[in-house]
Amino acid sequence: MTARILVVDDDVALAEMISIVLRGEGYIPHQAFDGQDALAQIPEVKPDLVLLDVMLPGLDGIEVCTRIREFSGVPIIMLTAKGDTTDVVKGLESGADDYVVKPFNPKELVARIRTRLRPSSEGANSVISVGDITIDVPAHEVRRGEDRINLTPLEFDLLLALALKPQQVFTREMLLEQVWGYHYKADTRLVNVHVQRLRAKVEIDPDNPLIVQTVRGVGYRAGESVGQADSDS
Amino acid sequence: MMQAAWRAFLRGLTAPIRLWRGSLLTRTVAITVTLSGMAVTVIGGYMSLTIADSLFTGRSDQILSETARAAATAQSLFDNSVTPAGTIDVETANTAAQTAIRSAQSSPGGSGFAILRTPGQITPQTMTSTSTAGLDLSVVTTELRSRVVADPDQIHYQSVLVTVQGEQRPGLVSAAALQVPSAGQYELYLIYDLVDVQNTLTLIQQTLIAGSLALVVTIGVVTFFVVRLAIGPVRRAAQTAERLAQGFLEERLFEKGEDVIAVLARSFNKMADSMQGQIVKLATLSQVQQRFVSDVSHELRTPLTTIRLAGDVLHEQRETFSAENARTLELLITQIERFEIMLTDLLEMSRYDAGAVALEVDEVNLVALVEDCLDQLSPLATQKGSNLVVDVRGGYGESEVDQRRIRRIILNFVGNAIDHGEGRPIVTFVDSNEEAVAIAVRDWGVGMSPDQVERVFDRFWRADPSRQRTTGGTGLGLAIASEDALAHGGRIDVWSEKGQGSCFRLTIPRTPLAPWRDSPLPLPPESDAIDSYLAAEDSSRGAFA
Repeated sequence: MTARILVVDDDVALAEMISIVLRGEGYIPHQAFDGQDALAQIPEVKPDLVLLDVMLPGLDGIEVCTRIREFSGVPIIMLTAKGDTTDVVKGLESGADDYVVKPFNPKELVARIRTRLRPSSEGANSVISVGDITIDVPAHEVRRGEDRINLTPLEFDLLLALALKPQQVFTREMLLEQVWGYHYKADTRLVNVHVQRLRAKVEIDPDNPLIVQTVRGVGYRAGESVGQADSDS
Repeated sequence: MMQAAWRAFLRGLTAPIRLWRGSLLTRTVAITVTLSGMAVTVIGGYMSLTIADSLFTGRSDQILSETARAAATAQSLFDNSVTPAGTIDVETANTAAQTAIRSAQSSPGGSGFAILRTPGQITPQTMTSTSTAGLDLSVVTTELRSRVVADPDQIHYQSVLVTVQGEQRPGLVSAAALQVPSAGQYELYLIYDLVDVQNTLTLIQQTLIAGSLALVVTIGVVTFFVVRLAIGPVRRAAQTAERLAQGFLEERLFEKGEDVIAVLARSFNKMADSMQGQIVKLATLSQVQQRFVSDVSHELRTPLTTIRLAGDVLHEQRETFSAENARTLELLITQIERFEIMLTDLLEMSRYDAGAVALEVDEVNLVALVEDCLDQLSPLATQKGSNLVVDVRGGYGESEVDQRRIRRIILNFVGNAIDHGEGRPIVTFVDSNEEAVAIAVRDWGVGMSPDQVERVFDRFWRADPSRQRTTGGTGLGLAIASEDALAHGGRIDVWSEKGQGSCFRLTIPRTPLAPWRDSPLPLPPESDAIDSYLAAEDSSRGAFA
C-alpha cells in the first residue's frame, strides 16, 4: 500500500523539494501551505503521515498539531528550524511524534518517515494486560474494563513495547531505538514527553502511575498485571 | 602591652577622624561651633573689660569727689578754728574735722579714714594723728604718702587690697593734704572697700560667660538642624544616584518647590531620564542585533534545506553524470555542508549572545568521552600523519557536564591540533582533583606567537588564513568553546610558543558553576614518554640536528 503524506510548509520550494524526495521513495505527497489549509485537507486526503513545519504563517505548527490531535492520531513529524529546547518540547507536548531539525538530508527524513509508517506489533497476536488495562494487539485497541482508550499509533507502540516484556526495565535509549527507530544517541526528551502523554491517557492518576512506572535513574517499565478480570485490586 | 595601648590610642584617634571625614553634618557643626565660640570669646572679653573699666572709673570718680569735699570741709573747719587772736585749739578742731569727714564719707564701702601728720615738720603745735578704730594703716603705702607730700594740691589715690572681716577685698585709698594752722601739713586718707563693684563685675562676667555658652550651643543646635535640612535632599540624591548605579533605572528624586534643591532634583531626574533612555536604547539596539543574527540564521535554514535536499537527490544519480559534472556536484555538496556547519555555529553564538543557553547536564565519564572523540577524529589524524595519544591521570569518575558541549570543545581542540600539528603526535591529557576536571590537548606543531595567542578566542579569527583547513572550521570554534566552558563555570587556558606547538586546557568544576581554584593539569603538562618519542621521531626523520 502506498502511503499518503501531507507536507505542510509555507516555503513552496522546500515543500516541492520534499515532495520530489518522497515521490522518489514511492510515497504519494500532498502539499499544504498554511495551517488552515492543512486542517482542511486532512479529512479528504486522509494522510498516513503529516510533515509539519513549526513556523507557519497564521496558525503556527504547534497550534495545528494540537488541533489535528483533537480528531486524529495520524503520525506527525515536526520540521523545525530551531534546535531550541522550548520549541522542540512544545511541539512534542502538543502531540508531534518526532521531529527533524532543518537542514536535514533526505536519508534522515525518509528514515524517520519509515519508522512511523512501519506496521507495529510484529509477532504479537494476542491480548496482553498491563495493570488494569488490556491491549488487544491485532485490533489495535486498548481498554480499561469496557472503556476504550484512544491512543495514537506512537503511544500504542510505546505501551506495547513496554507491555511485551513486563519484566524488563527499558532505558530511554532502548525505547528510542525500538519505538522511534534511532540507532544512535538521540533526544531523550522524545521519550519523556511521550511517556507523559501516554500516562495522561492510560493512568487513573498520572501523578502516581501504575501502568508505566518510572525506574529511578534507569528508565521505565510496565506495571504488573492485576489479574485478568477481577481478582483482587 | 605598649603596642596594644598604642593601638587603642590610635583607634581612639581614628574614630573621630572617620566621623569628621564621613559626616558633612559633623564637620559643619564643629566648624560653626568653633568659629562662633571664638567670636563670642573675643566679644565677651572686650565687653567684660569695658564694663570693668567703666565701673571702676565711675566709682573712683565718686570717691575722689567725696575726698575733695571731705578735705575741703576739714580744711575750712581748721581755717575757721583760728580765733581772732590768732590762736587755735588744734585738738578741738581735729575732733570737729573728724566728724565732718565721717559724714562726708557717705558712699558705700567707705570703711574708714586716717589723718596723719606729714613727717619732717617743725611747727609751733602738734596735732594728734588719728584714724578710724580697727583700721589697718598698712594699706596706706609710703608711695602714696610721698606722692601726697610731693604734690599737696592734688587728690591722689591708689588701688590696694583691704582686709575686711579676715578676707582680702579690692579697695581704694584716696588722699588729700590738709594745712592745719600752726600745726603744719597733715594728710587725709580715706579708705574704701570696693567689694560691691567687684561683686557686680563678677556677676556681669558670669552672666556673660553663661550667655556666650548658651549662644554657642544654640548656634550649634541651629546649625545642626539647618544643615540637616539642607543636606537631607543631597543625601537622598546621593542614595538615589547609588540606586541608579546599581541598575535600578526607575529610581527618581521627589521634586517639590522652586528652591535650589528642587532645581537639583529636577536636573537630577532629567539626567536619570536621559541616561535611562540611552541605556534602554542601547539594550534594545543590542537585542535587535542579536535578534537579527538569530533571525537570519533561522531564515537561511529553510532555503538551505531545499538546496541540500536538491543536492542529495542529484547525488543519488551521480553515476549518470559526466566526470566534470560529478565533481561539480561533489564541490556543491561539500560547500553546502560547510555552510550548514557555519550556520549552526552562528546560531549557537547568537544564542550565547542572547543569554539563552541552558546546560543539559548528565553524569558523564570524561575519559570515555575523550576516547570517543579521538575515535571520531582518528581517520583525519591518520590522514595528516598525526598519532593521537591519550594520557589519563585521573577523571575516571563521573562529572556533571553537558556532554554535547564538552564533546564539542574536545573535538575543537583535537581538530585544531590536527590542523596545526605538522603530522606530529597529539596528546590528550585528562586529570581531576576534588573540585575540578581538566582536559588538555597538546601538539608539537607550528605554535603561535604571543599576540596570536591573545586573539585566539576572537570570532572568525584565524592564526594563518592561508593554511589549508581540513576540519572545516568556521572560525567560531574556540569562541563557542570558550562560551561552553564559561557556561559550566570553567575556563580555557592556552599555552603556545612559535615552533614549539600549542596546548589548550579546559578546566571545569565537577558540577556546573561550582567554585574551584586550581586546574588539575599544569600548562602545558609534562610528558617524558612523549618527549623521548618526539626526539626519536625527529632523529629518524632528520628534521632537526
